[in-house]
Amino acid sequence: MNTIAIILVIGLIVFTIALSIFSRRFTRTTADFYLAGRKVGSFSNASAISGDYLSAASFLGVAGAVYASGLDGVWYAAGFAGGFMVVVLFIASALRRFGEYTVADFAFGRFGSNRIRLITVLAVLLTSLFYMAPQMFGAGTTWQVLVGKGFFGMTPYASGVVVVAGIIAFYVAVGGMKGTTLNQIFQFWWLMFAMIMVVVFAFGSGFNYPSALAEASKTPIVNTKSLTIAELTTPDAATGKTLYDSAATIMTTAEMATVDEAIAAAAGDEKVKIAVALPSKNKLHELRDMLFAEPGHRYNAFDQFSMVLALVLGTAGLPHILNRYYTNPSGAAARRSTFWVLVFIGTFYILAPIAGLAGISIIRDYLAGGGTITAANVHGLLVKPDQIMPMMAEILGGQWLLGIVSAGAFAAMFSTVGGLLIASASAVGHDVYEKYINPNASEAKRVLVGKISVLSFAALALGIGLAIPKFGLDQAYPALIAMMVTWAFSVGASAFVPMLLTGIWWKGTTERGATAGIAVGLFSAIAIIFLNIFQQLGIVGKEGILGFFGALTFPVLFTFPLGLLTIIIVSKIDGQLPKNVDEIWMRIHGTAHERHEKQHGLDKVGSMFAKSK
Amino acid sequence: MGDSTMTAADSGVQIQHGDHIDTIESVDLVFRAQRKLSFTYGAVFFAVTLAIPALSVWWKSWYAVQIWGGFTANYLFVSLLYYVFLWGMAWTYSKQADKLDERLGEMADVITATAAAKGSETE
Repeated sequence: MNTIAIILVIGLIVFTIALSIFSRRFTRTTADFYLAGRKVGSFSNASAISGDYLSAASFLGVAGAVYASGLDGVWYAAGFAGGFMVVVLFIASALRRFGEYTVADFAFGRFGSNRIRLITVLAVLLTSLFYMAPQMFGAGTTWQVLVGKGFFGMTPYASGVVVVAGIIAFYVAVGGMKGTTLNQIFQFWWLMFAMIMVVVFAFGSGFNYPSALAEASKTPIVNTKSLTIAELTTPDAATGKTLYDSAATIMTTAEMATVDEAIAAAAGDEKVKIAVALPSKNKLHELRDMLFAEPGHRYNAFDQFSMVLALVLGTAGLPHILNRYYTNPSGAAARRSTFWVLVFIGTFYILAPIAGLAGISIIRDYLAGGGTITAANVHGLLVKPDQIMPMMAEILGGQWLLGIVSAGAFAAMFSTVGGLLIASASAVGHDVYEKYINPNASEAKRVLVGKISVLSFAALALGIGLAIPKFGLDQAYPALIAMMVTWAFSVGASAFVPMLLTGIWWKGTTERGATAGIAVGLFSAIAIIFLNIFQQLGIVGKEGILGFFGALTFPVLFTFPLGLLTIIIVSKIDGQLPKNVDEIWMRIHGTAHERHEKQHGLDKVGSMFAKSK
Repeated sequence: MGDSTMTAADSGVQIQHGDHIDTIESVDLVFRAQRKLSFTYGAVFFAVTLAIPALSVWWKSWYAVQIWGGFTANYLFVSLLYYVFLWGMAWTYSKQADKLDERLGEMADVITATAAAKGSETE
């Protein structure tokens, strides 16, 4: 039992709840609940956006992806950061100037129809669910490593998912956006502290960045996988070789003897899983060995571009991030916030790949020296790369560092899922309930509906988290957390970004065009992602048109242009601009409001803790 | 919006906040200048960002030659220098956009004042 580590995590949870209860007294109106009263300063907002953005994918997933895939994994970090340039250049200040509460509000205000508001709400909910899934998976896997035990008859994984979903639901429902903002600021700095600590400890143990990179690139990358005996021993139809044969080319005689023992112990049960190490292929330059410092472990040429586009465009399509821009006091503040976000997360993303690389030699040397770890491992490597951060922390700094990192992992999940719950709740509570179901509801009732929405989506997130291992997704993809996050990015990039870009920058965009663009982008992206999942699970073959689309790891290279083209073509054919298009245009690009606020000092950041009248 | 000083003319020609007025002409001026700035920076950003995978596919010296310890130019850029590029771009863009806002705000006030002066002369 990791007592100290568990105490540190409990400390984080207690502090988180205390912050929410503290901020509860300052949440009276819907503007407080959803937008923290629009009084969040650039530095605070940048910290909160960074906390919102740095999820389990960033804290556990990036290091895990680098550990498993080298340079292709580093791209996650660079792409996650690069996405904010699209936000600052094209979206941030216009969105804030337009005002309102949510992305659906923008769509309604810009195009003036209930239809576009509702499809935007649907897209917000689906994107949020795609993004919640990896956070919940991260919660379960971190609990496995940290506590290693379940409660009430649940597995350790399920217990982690239940605990995280329950705590976040509580603190978001109690604290609203003010509580969530405060928590995200604290959680971001805890994450940063934890990442710095791991890297400092790694350097302290003798890690040298250029040398370690050279060492890791001397021999080809080795893949680890947990396979059923059937998968291991069934010959490939084309080559006649089994994965057992491939494993034998990598693993030592002693390691293969362990595999043989496990097969014998299974006594004919072909569903028993055994961890093996397998050779890797270079998908980009097929004639070259797959080395750590070179691209190609995960992505072929097509996916190299798709992945970059998914990450840089996807950030601008994340509803919980876009919502945060409404909490800035002005358009200029929105830009400043984004600059600070880039500084904060850039620093974090420079460190995460260092941790992933350091993990290779630290884990290998520790195991070779006779050390034991709780995580499954084979050939000196972790079977689940997403566990590299807590495992490395335990080896380098014992329970204290494991506690700091585990608390960081939970902080990452709390802050991101908190933001997603607020975004989902505002989509249902604000965009649907307040606009269509009960427009005359009192402030207290609106806030109550927001809280009920939070609890409902937390329950949904819980269900998704529990379902992931049941469908075998954790075995179908290496570094699943980072992978699932890029799916959410793909959905957001395809559904929202074409509408936002054309809505802000092309006056000729019509309601029909924007609605069609959202629908085409949203559903085409989801369809391709599911085809990919089905192909990985062996439900869809690799032949034909379905096989082609199913092989696309990231659909954005198709679905973003498809959504954009749909908007342009339908708008051109339609030609029905809103009657008040000039007025709308002035709301997006006009500066009178900001000049007025500046003149009277109203653009200054007030206190988030002022009580609303 | 937060304070209730906004008045929108029925014709959709202007929006007033206190002493400050946006006309469709002044807003178009802002829009065009902002578009030029944003899309110029956007072009540079996407050119550099997409050049990285392009070089990873086609230029061996970029992805396969070690230049410092185990660092290839590709690894060094993606893991470190790309962030310096992003910070530089975001900083200069924010500063330029702020200056642009100020300049255009002053111009919009001049347009408003001129229109008001003309109006009072006519009366």
